[in-house]
Amino acid sequence: MPDTPFEPRIVGFLCNWCSYAGANLAGTSRIRYEPNIRIIRVPCSGRVDPLFVARAFQEGADGGMVLGCHPGDCHYRDGNYYARRRFNLMHGFLDFLGIDERRLKIDWVSAAEGKRFAQVVSQFTDQVRDLGPATVRQPAVLGG
Amino acid sequence: MIEQICSIAEQILADKTVDVVIGYEAGTRGAVRPAFIRSAAEAGRLVWNDACTHNLANYVREKHVSPKKGAPPAKVGVILKACDARALNVLLRDNQAPRADLYLIGVACQGMRQNSGFAGRDLGDLELRCQDCAERVPAGCDVVVGEAPAAGVAPASAIARELDRLAALSPAERQAFWDAEFARCLRCYACRQACPACYCVECTAEQLEPSWIGVAIRTPEKRFFHTMRAYHLAGRCAGCDECARVCPVGVRLDLLNAWFRREIEGTYGYRAGQDATTPAPLASFVPSESLDL
Amino acid sequence: MNFITDAQLRGWLAQLIAESTVIAPRRAGEDLLLYQPVEDPDAICYDFGRSTVSPREFFLPATEALLTVERVRQATAGDGATAGNARVAGQWEVKLTEPHLQHDQVLFAVRPCDVHALTALDALMLKEPADAYYAERRARTTLIGLACEQMGPSCFCTSLGLSPDDGAGMDVMLYRADGGYILEILTDKGRVALASQAPVDFEGSRPQRAWPEAAYQVPPRAVWTERFNDPYWASLAERCLSCKICSYICPTCRCFDVRDYTVAQAAGYQKIERLRCWDSCMAEGYRRIAGGHNPRAAKAQRLRNRFYCKFDYYPADFGPLACVGCGRCVDQCPVNVDITEVLQDVAAR
Repeated sequence: MPDTPFEPRIVGFLCNWCSYAGANLAGTSRIRYEPNIRIIRVPCSGRVDPLFVARAFQEGADGGMVLGCHPGDCHYRDGNYYARRRFNLMHGFLDFLGIDERRLKIDWVSAAEGKRFAQVVSQFTDQVRDLGPATVRQPAVLGG
Repeated sequence: MIEQICSIAEQILADKTVDVVIGYEAGTRGAVRPAFIRSAAEAGRLVWNDACTHNLANYVREKHVSPKKGAPPAKVGVILKACDARALNVLLRDNQAPRADLYLIGVACQGMRQNSGFAGRDLGDLELRCQDCAERVPAGCDVVVGEAPAAGVAPASAIARELDRLAALSPAERQAFWDAEFARCLRCYACRQACPACYCVECTAEQLEPSWIGVAIRTPEKRFFHTMRAYHLAGRCAGCDECARVCPVGVRLDLLNAWFRREIEGTYGYRAGQDATTPAPLASFVPSESLDL
Repeated sequence: MNFITDAQLRGWLAQLIAESTVIAPRRAGEDLLLYQPVEDPDAICYDFGRSTVSPREFFLPATEALLTVERVRQATAGDGATAGNARVAGQWEVKLTEPHLQHDQVLFAVRPCDVHALTALDALMLKEPADAYYAERRARTTLIGLACEQMGPSCFCTSLGLSPDDGAGMDVMLYRADGGYILEILTDKGRVALASQAPVDFEGSRPQRAWPEAAYQVPPRAVWTERFNDPYWASLAERCLSCKICSYICPTCRCFDVRDYTVAQAAGYQKIERLRCWDSCMAEGYRRIAGGHNPRAAKAQRLRNRFYCKFDYYPADFGPLACVGCGRCVDQCPVNVDITEVLQDVAAR
């Protein structure tokens, strides 16, 4: 097998009304960004259970993103406030488990921010590329 | 104390305030175990000592209180320590137990010992949570037996020290620590079964449509289960540590949940079970708050 | 009879470790003794009572792949087509693999109760049609037993007609003695395992111990039948957490679940594995069938089933009791459901 350089697999949960639309805008504006992200559209960032992100890591993702509307602008009024509280804990929890918390990014991207979407995703992809492959999925030595 | 507990139990059974009193009794080989007393005559089976560690709030959400079709709900008396009462508050707030059908017998607690509740084990030191406990007397009960220690309580920070010890390790060492813990896990779900806050009728871990985790008993799946369970308990775990006690291979689940408790208390000033009304932090929000992401 | 010194034993184990997977008792934590694969004879705990979890996982693993199905290759036109196996350009080739053990196994310092449990399991698992996976592990495992020198506080094997120093079912049996072990080769497999060693002859006989009188009686099947609808089971089950610990650590429990899963690979989802994992009759959903009916929805029904399976159903169907008196469930039940108490209660009522 040829020695290909490591390209991280990023899974992103994007809310339908803001960040997903922002991604769309990046596309129609022909703004280039790192193509590593696999986007999963959810109605609202408040729909994202930290379980989803954990499962993404479990299935081999090297990085996980949750992008929602800016606080105050949620299409469903307050979904992103719940997301904010839930994911506030997740960086620290990943670190507590010994998983590099830089593999997770929570951010707010509006439907008008095509350029910002591209920036946020490219920056995060570069960050995860530097971190290398995630080891979350590998079984431990004993009894794995 | 036990005389008082027994006489309360006798009274509330005799006058039909309750149909059953859930307490503790002497089991086999020196073990203390949960007791279900259904008549005043049997109230003498109840015991109270430093091995009464089980969280009896776990039994309150069961069919004892949910009525069979057509039957009135059972009235349940239950003996609670401070940690148990906090767990019950979480259940009450989450509408998992009808307060009107409960008679809460609070008991002031001097702390429970390690190895409690098992046949043939010598009791050890005070449980970590008991060393750290500042509460000792449960709140929100219909009656309370005993008083807080006259000399006051000087809580230790045994659990915080363990968390700090883990925090001081490198991420790779921490990952290795947790991987070794999860590798030993049998995925028996004893931790979940013993937990009062794990009341989901169908646990995400056992869902097959969709299959979040799958049935495999392998380290990645086990890591996922424990991570998910701890996260789902964030802001709801009262810190009774039954999960860690029942685990047959000694997985340090108490530390996993303690991390969330410390974070939640630090960020929101909230302790699960502090009352039966405050909404859970992760099920509520303040629009103007500024949180680190 | 032979004698092997402590040093010779270490050497023998090192030899076995080089040739096969050696599974031996290890201290895995405070009050935690587990049978685990070892790489070094010094990692073994030689002085112990009974492991916390039974070694049945080396015959019935907690998780094993029964088979994998893969799409491996896209055939090109004219590619070695043979009669009956014609390939069309662009067609995937499907490969089925049945996993086999990578190495032979040696289970060292296994107790008579745990080996008797294997013999009891054989009655079901090796009965035609035999479970091929269990059969392979049984066939490819050498059992080096270690006789007990005393019974533990929760042990009751003698109440079930067993003995703590019985070598039945072992390939090699060890009895602790001064400076080493009295060694008895019991099967050809045992002889082969010792082929590289030269333990000295031992003129004496194995230690004879007088074991304490059996403390419990197993009620005959008729008594179990009579007690089936007794309200005892409901009151016993009130404190049960349905936590599954008892069945997961038990040496004779064997229930499992089988599920198919896709496995992500570089080329996408082209691989499926059929996994068999432990399951337990104590779980609420264990007996739920298609359509949603659950004949053991109540905790009392499930807990009753546990004891009936061990002392009534299994012996009726297969011969031996499905309990060997190891006492692990007594030690590990967090709410003190004590099988010896149940035996006494069933006999007494």
